[in-house]
Amino acid sequence: MTDWHLDQDLLDRYDRGDLDTGRVMAVEAHMLACPHCRFRVHVDVAWTTGNWAIVYDAVHAPRVGPAQRLLTRLGLPEHRVRLLTATPALRWSWLLATAAVLGLAVLAAVFSRDGTDRAGLLFLVVAPILPVVAVSGAYGPPADPMYEITGTAPAAGPALVLWRATAVIGAAVATAGFAALLLPAAGWYAAAWLLPALLLCTGTLALATSVPLPLAAGTLGGLWLAGVLGVTGFRHEPAVPLVFGPAAQLSYSLAAALAAIVLIRRRRRFDPGESR
Amino acid sequence: MTTVSIRRLGKRYGATTALDAVDLEIGTGVTGLLGPNGAGKSTLLRCLATALAPDTGSLRVHGFDPAVQHERVEVRRRIGYLPQNPGLYPNFTAYDLLDYVAVLKEITDTGARRAEVRRVLEEVELTDRAKTKVRKLSGGMRQRLGLAQALLGEPELVILDEPTVGLDPEQRMLFRALVSRIGEHRTVLLSTHQTEDVGALCERVVVMRGGRVIFDGSPRELAGVAEGQVWLSAEPPQGNAAYWRNADGLYRTLGARPAGGEAARPSIEDGYLLLLDSEATTAGAATGVAPTAGAATGVAPTAGAATGAVTTAGTAAPDAAGATTAPGVIR
Ligand SMILES: [Zn+2]
Repeated sequence: MTDWHLDQDLLDRYDRGDLDTGRVMAVEAHMLACPHCRFRVHVDVAWTTGNWAIVYDAVHAPRVGPAQRLLTRLGLPEHRVRLLTATPALRWSWLLATAAVLGLAVLAAVFSRDGTDRAGLLFLVVAPILPVVAVSGAYGPPADPMYEITGTAPAAGPALVLWRATAVIGAAVATAGFAALLLPAAGWYAAAWLLPALLLCTGTLALATSVPLPLAAGTLGGLWLAGVLGVTGFRHEPAVPLVFGPAAQLSYSLAAALAAIVLIRRRRRFDPGESR
Repeated sequence: MTTVSIRRLGKRYGATTALDAVDLEIGTGVTGLLGPNGAGKSTLLRCLATALAPDTGSLRVHGFDPAVQHERVEVRRRIGYLPQNPGLYPNFTAYDLLDYVAVLKEITDTGARRAEVRRVLEEVELTDRAKTKVRKLSGGMRQRLGLAQALLGEPELVILDEPTVGLDPEQRMLFRALVSRIGEHRTVLLSTHQTEDVGALCERVVVMRGGRVIFDGSPRELAGVAEGQVWLSAEPPQGNAAYWRNADGLYRTLGARPAGGEAARPSIEDGYLLLLDSEATTAGAATGVAPTAGAATGVAPTAGAATGAVTTAGTAAPDAAGATTAPGVIR
């Protein structure tokens, strides 16, 4: 520590900003080493606090990724984007698992010897299930370890479940859609799974107004698998038109509309926070 | 001012009664729910936090009824809840986690939310850990982060379920200091099975047992339960009384005065143990079943840790069945 200190005149001029760059550097070099002079400088507390907050937030606030930027550009408010992208089920592990299952279905189709029908059927049967699995993980104990906190927050309830379900369905549909493009001879059936998927998702959410979400998803997913296998018995020819033909598609869309009506009418019963 | 009002609240899980017609009024300050495991503390707190629907009775938080759909939201706007197993996302940073919970607490404006996150981080002394991932925080810091999320939005009622479990003495002291500061202007309701927590920070203590409230008063009054029933003697007592040897080599007996016993000042723990003990005896006499003594077993380690070994006079130690029938025995 030195015996020499900045004289008051110099300090005042520093404060007013009247010094040239060389002098400013000299004064600041001294202040770095000398707490005494450091505390003689006039401090604007409000200004410092404000800047501290800005710096602190800039360093600590969550980073905005490409997905968030895209959603913000689509017009979603920032808090809603935070809620969607923090959805626990929307984790890389889950997306990778979905992609892996679909990848296997595509591989099976590519390498199958007896044409694309059986493998295509496999893809068509599996693809609608994935969004439902995603929905069942959108909320509640197995997928969300913090469910007791999130479930008892004021923003919990129907809106949160539906937003999360939408987010995971969107991700699952995008993944499955991409896989469909990779299918060999991707004909009309590359999109045939979309309506069954929609029905299973709305049906699951509608059923979840009475039973827990995972149970609803398991029930409908199981019914779908059992139904398809029961009807087709994995025979080639009649299977695809029977389960995915125009008549079937029409009934899927009607049923999905019905499920949506049930869901909208009973949406207030969604209270995942409160167990009975 | 009354924050919480509970009337004849009941909850059953199958054949087990978790809450048995509980009546309570709770106001500003720190109130401790004390009781052995399975006493119904957690169930009561989860009902208050709107995480669980009670079967019978009524509940009001600031006059709002969580059983009514649109009033439940009003209840949720006024509470901060730290569950026993908060399950904080391990890959979130402390800042991210608080920001996310703040969104769930309807603080939608970005600027206001960040200011609130900074405020609670400062309140629990984690400002310099904001960038640390939850999985890299120590147990004490994680618990303080759990407390911070409960404080977001300045709730009038703060519910903490076993918040001091697993904390070392230093962390526990820091945590108590934080909680007592919070309790100066708000209602804090916490559950614990540690009498030290109660003595250190609660103005009021409610002792629960088998889903019922068996004591409600100040910590001093709880100690007073054992007034005239705590003795120090040079020789171990005869009979079935519970006793242990203290650091001075004297035998500390709870219950009837042993030969040569001198009256000692009762502690909160003495009052608590005698309370559970008398409950066990009356309950056992009324129903003739053993499980009540099993519940009393749950408190013995606390006594042992604080004061030395707990032994029973008169009965052979391994004879558990004998112990349940002998009144006044704490194992
Ligand atoms: Zn100087």
